Amino acid sequence: MSRSKPIPPKLAERTLCWFLRHELAEEVLGDLEEKFYHTLDTKTLTRAKLNYWYQVIHYLRPFAIKHNRSNSTLFTMYQHNFKLTYRNFLKHRSQFLINLTGLSTGLACVLLIYLWVTDEKQVDKFHQNHTRLYQVMSNHTDASGITTWKGVPGLLLEEIQSTIPEVEYAAATTDAHEYTLSVDDSYFKAHGKFASENFLDVFTYPLIQGSKSVLSDKSGIVISESLAQRLFRTSDVVGKDMKWHFWGKEKLVQVTGVMKDVPEGASEKFDFLMSWDYFHDDLIEYKNWYNYYGRVMVVLNSEADENAVETKIDQILKENQEGGRVDLFLANYSDRYLNSKYENGIQAGGQIEYVRLFSIVAIFILFIACINFINLSTAKASHRTKEIGVKKSMGASKKSLIAQFFTESVLLSLIAMLSALFLVWLLLPQFNLITQKSLTLSFNGPFIITTISLIVIVGIFAGSYPALFLSSFDPIEILKGKLVRKPGEIHGRKVLVIVQFTLSIILIVAVGVVYKQMDFVKNKNLGYDKDNLVYFEREGRLIEDSESLLNELRDAPGISHAALSGFMIGGGNSTGGVSWEGKTPEDQLQFWEIKSGHGLVEMMDMEIVKGRSFSSEFGSDSTSVLFNETAIDAMGLEDPIGKTIQHYTGEKKIVGVVKDFNLISLHTAVEPMIFLYNPEDTHFIMAKLNQGSEAATLEHMERLYKKFNAGYVFKPEFIDDDYQNLYTSEERVGLLSSYFSGLAVLISCLGLFGLAAFTVERRTKEIGIRKVLGAGSLKIIYLLSHDFTKMVLVAIVIALPISFFIAREWLKSFAFKIDLAWWLFAGAGMVALLIAWLTVGIQTIKAAGANPVKCLKDE
Amino acid sequence: MKETRLGEFEEVLLLLVGILGEEAYAFKIAEEFEGQTKRAVSIGAVHSTLNRLLEKGFLTSEMGSSSPERGGRRKRIYTITAHGSRILSDSRDFKVSLWNQYPGFANG
Repeated sequence: MSRSKPIPPKLAERTLCWFLRHELAEEVLGDLEEKFYHTLDTKTLTRAKLNYWYQVIHYLRPFAIKHNRSNSTLFTMYQHNFKLTYRNFLKHRSQFLINLTGLSTGLACVLLIYLWVTDEKQVDKFHQNHTRLYQVMSNHTDASGITTWKGVPGLLLEEIQSTIPEVEYAAATTDAHEYTLSVDDSYFKAHGKFASENFLDVFTYPLIQGSKSVLSDKSGIVISESLAQRLFRTSDVVGKDMKWHFWGKEKLVQVTGVMKDVPEGASEKFDFLMSWDYFHDDLIEYKNWYNYYGRVMVVLNSEADENAVETKIDQILKENQEGGRVDLFLANYSDRYLNSKYENGIQAGGQIEYVRLFSIVAIFILFIACINFINLSTAKASHRTKEIGVKKSMGASKKSLIAQFFTESVLLSLIAMLSALFLVWLLLPQFNLITQKSLTLSFNGPFIITTISLIVIVGIFAGSYPALFLSSFDPIEILKGKLVRKPGEIHGRKVLVIVQFTLSIILIVAVGVVYKQMDFVKNKNLGYDKDNLVYFEREGRLIEDSESLLNELRDAPGISHAALSGFMIGGGNSTGGVSWEGKTPEDQLQFWEIKSGHGLVEMMDMEIVKGRSFSSEFGSDSTSVLFNETAIDAMGLEDPIGKTIQHYTGEKKIVGVVKDFNLISLHTAVEPMIFLYNPEDTHFIMAKLNQGSEAATLEHMERLYKKFNAGYVFKPEFIDDDYQNLYTSEERVGLLSSYFSGLAVLISCLGLFGLAAFTVERRTKEIGIRKVLGAGSLKIIYLLSHDFTKMVLVAIVIALPISFFIAREWLKSFAFKIDLAWWLFAGAGMVALLIAWLTVGIQTIKAAGANPVKCLKDE
Repeated sequence: MKETRLGEFEEVLLLLVGILGEEAYAFKIAEEFEGQTKRAVSIGAVHSTLNRLLEKGFLTSEMGSSSPERGGRRKRIYTITAHGSRILSDSRDFKVSLWNQYPGFANG
């Protein structure tokens, strides 16, 4: 052996010594070293070292591993704690089950809400530059205040690109709209938008085929992978031709690129992109600084100051526009999904409110579930006083007892988390259906961290009070047989029950209010009859000749009316280009524009309060307009019929006034509206179907449609559906909050049930004696339940004002809302009281009916 | 009651202990096993089985001499007990008797 001989790997040796039993060390180390040098004779050093490691790992066998049992007190203690926890769970099975059910449903709610909230927060965040990506927004000031729009003049784009160096990329686009595309003679409907050259630099949707310049060609089109499959049944489609149709316009376009489908987490979905230049040059008639048809986004470079750029952009508009009533500002694009609402020019929440709301609900529910644990463990403390007394007199420190109770609660919360994960897995499909998302349980880093911290937080929070409380018992008192009750204890438990029920009642009221408001929204008389109104787009031959189809529709069975309609739920076009007699520069009014043919007002059952509606009896109506009452009031016109106004398309005469109706959602008050008689430019055909035969009538309509427009897609839409769609998020919130509050109430009741069971158990003897002495069942029931009744009553008193306040806040977002009736609150209180009685009642009635002999004979 | 049946690996190790005599310690036995059977085995696996054989009473062991290539550490030398050799011969006899009953090889 030479002096500088290689030696076995030190780390491996140390590892071996760490786990190997002491008495084996000598022989094993010797054997392994011999093996090492033996291997070295025939193999390389590395191989020998590797082999050494291999041998070490193979010593991980039960016979060779150290047994710590006898050595470490810490280890023994934990082992003991685990064993006790397990035995306690077995012994108090009902308490364990109540705690487990409560905690796991609570945790499941929290996890579901967590998944939803994180998903909501990720919307639009997939763009590479999302932190530097801004949308240019406009604030319009008029007499009624400031209104915020996402529209800006399309001319802004070039100015920004040429004059502001801090802007790395800028792009203009339109909102996604459903257009018709045709390949040869097959027609398809798909959502698309116009986008300028740099669109794909601003929004980093990946391209599968084509280069970055795909949007520079005026007759180019970029389609999504799935649209390519739909149109051509392959995604290798660059260079293929198709036609784009909209309102009599037709354009031959060529596929220049294929992009990946817009991901789930995008706020706006679309299937194809066409050239902004084409849109801007060929489709926009009124291309000026007063027409807000563009949506402009900018990506700032990393050093740019947002405020400075904002001012510069605003300045561009100010230089080109007279009047200065419009201010431009920047809003981070990916924040807009959650913060879309503006009130008087100031950001005022939006979807983020629901994100917050549900986060709070999650905390509520978890809190309620933890309270159950706290209450039941302190209530049942009497069962464990002996254990604590013995331990303390054997020398257990307060610290070690606290550790024991924490082990118990953390272990319980771990088990609860496991069953919660199972529950979530079970409920996720249903939850996705309600939330319209595709959430999955994926165990990525943040999710694992969340679950683990939830386990720890719940374990420690739920365990803290019992741990401190139980460990502070005086051992001498306990062992003497005295039940030491601190005066604050029962009091504390009561407070917690009150908190639980307060939270539950708030949730019940919330559900009631949301439900009532949604019911009100659905059934409110809108000022027109929205039922059974069906409409479809005028396309192909219907643009030149709609009258023949209209006539056939009017004659068809099952259809009572048919007319040309420009009526769109949620608005459509609006204009500030109206002036009237006595208009001052301060009177900036935006009017919703509804284009119409004959018979629309009658079909929709709107009321004419003055004058008449459009009618062929009065010759050509081409210069006639109707206003709604709000518009007339806002313009300050008295006796409006016959007066003339200036519209941006020419001079018009007011022939009638329509009673106010709700065109946009009930969140906003009725706004000024103008009806224009312009059948050539009215985009939809609308029909009123008779009740009962809708399906058959629709089929008939489709046959008629195909006769006129062979090949085109007949896609009828119901006004009623559009109206419902305005409230999907409220509807969803209503549904979700009813589920979650149901669970909260359930969990609270579980706790109450446990407490009641415990009280009855503890007072069995008392009840027996009372019965023997002649107390009736009713008396006993009263005795047992009046405590709980008082707690719930206190909870009601606390909860109702709070819930009234919350409900009023929520309703503020509606211009049309329900009155908060007293019975709604009284009802919620009654429900809570009834549920509490029911829960407690099962226990008390059983106890009251029991035979006193049975509970008194043994002792 | 102690387990007294003999597994195949156990039987081979027991025989190897007998063959190696004074040199019967875990590393040598593992080497011999690999040499004779051409099957790879870790020292840990051999050690664990030897341990089991000790518990069953087929082997005894004592600490032997040290040598420089093991860093001056002693080795544990195993020897077959009387019980062990009886079990071995029982096992052989049983197998021979089975062979004799097998008609295909009865005459061979």
